Amino acid sequence: MRLEKLPAEMALRLSELECPDFKGTPWVEGKPLSQRRVAIVSSAGLVVRGDPVFRGRDADYRAIPGATQANDLLCSHISINFDRNGFQEDWNVVFPLDRLSELAAERTIGSVATTHYSFMGATDPMQMVDGAREVAGKLKADNVDAVLLTSV
Amino acid sequence: MSALGHYLEEEGLATVAVALIRPQAEHTRPPRALWVPFELGRPIGPPSDPAFQKRVILAAIGMLVEGGGPARIADFPDDDPREMQDPSWNAPIDLYAGAGDAAALADAMQTEALAMAPAYAQSCTRRARSTVGLSGLPPAECSGYIATWLRGQQPASPVAGMSSALALRFAIDDLKAYALEAALAPAGKPSSRQLGDWLWNGTALGAGLQQLRRDCLAGDDERLKTVAAFFVPALRVSPA
Repeated sequence: MRLEKLPAEMALRLSELECPDFKGTPWVEGKPLSQRRVAIVSSAGLVVRGDPVFRGRDADYRAIPGATQANDLLCSHISINFDRNGFQEDWNVVFPLDRLSELAAERTIGSVATTHYSFMGATDPMQMVDGAREVAGKLKADNVDAVLLTSV
Repeated sequence: MSALGHYLEEEGLATVAVALIRPQAEHTRPPRALWVPFELGRPIGPPSDPAFQKRVILAAIGMLVEGGGPARIADFPDDDPREMQDPSWNAPIDLYAGAGDAAALADAMQTEALAMAPAYAQSCTRRARSTVGLSGLPPAECSGYIATWLRGQQPASPVAGMSSALALRFAIDDLKAYALEAALAPAGKPSSRQLGDWLWNGTALGAGLQQLRRDCLAGDDERLKTVAAFFVPALRVSPA
């Protein structure tokens, strides 16, 4: 987002939004992309139709099976201050599963995860730690070794 | 989102975050972040543009095999071409010419929702999908439920396990999605600004939600005051 396109007050609020302080930053290296198994983890409050929607600043997460069809993915993010038209027209704007599948088919990446995950991005990140560690365990059990994080 | 990068990478998973707000990524310092200049809500860029989207994804996942970290931020260079207005796009419906009191507005909103049904159906067929469904109510019931609130009544929740205030919020989310998906039926590639201008300035739904927001905030029901903040985007709030 080019913050200069927003009203000054909103740009300032977004740029000064409280973020957690981390003492260091971890760093994991790995295989070439053509051998990586890639998952999407989104903070867009995505839910599979029929699963419980995010009702507020929930700290848990939802699983999105790789076989989910575009018609069955909903966005229940609590914020209404971001564009939803893009997602309504094309889910890849937020959840680029079709693009990852194409990259796997053309062998740019090794494969695509069996299951993807979504959190509610408006939640205090410190409350997501347990859920994130649980998701990490599930991703590793699926042999995922690369995660594309998408926010809204 | 950048915090999730820390948590997952600490568990041994290589991550790259597509970041929309650069100062947040700079502060949180995730292992890798690709800042993109697109509007909020569009991390991968323009809808219905697979080639552009693929460039964004390749720029992001390419960082997984590059050095320079940790806490590396790269910038995607290109703007979203869909931010440009499309003059060929026309609104799917143009019924609203202002309404009198809240009851008239409620009536107009329901009439308008019914009139949008063909465009919505056409749009669903073309996209093979709909994002309506958070409340679990069909659009006509969403419209009826919102209209009842707009008329000053306080109906019981029509959704099992959901309070009336929460059902109102999700019914509003669904009806906005219904209208905006109907707006995708006409030919063209409208920008989000075009669609928003139509919804908030040219429909009974937009006017009705502004009115309902004002009514809820002026009342003394704290639950309604809370959910009223989620009816109208901050940039679209009309004072009167």
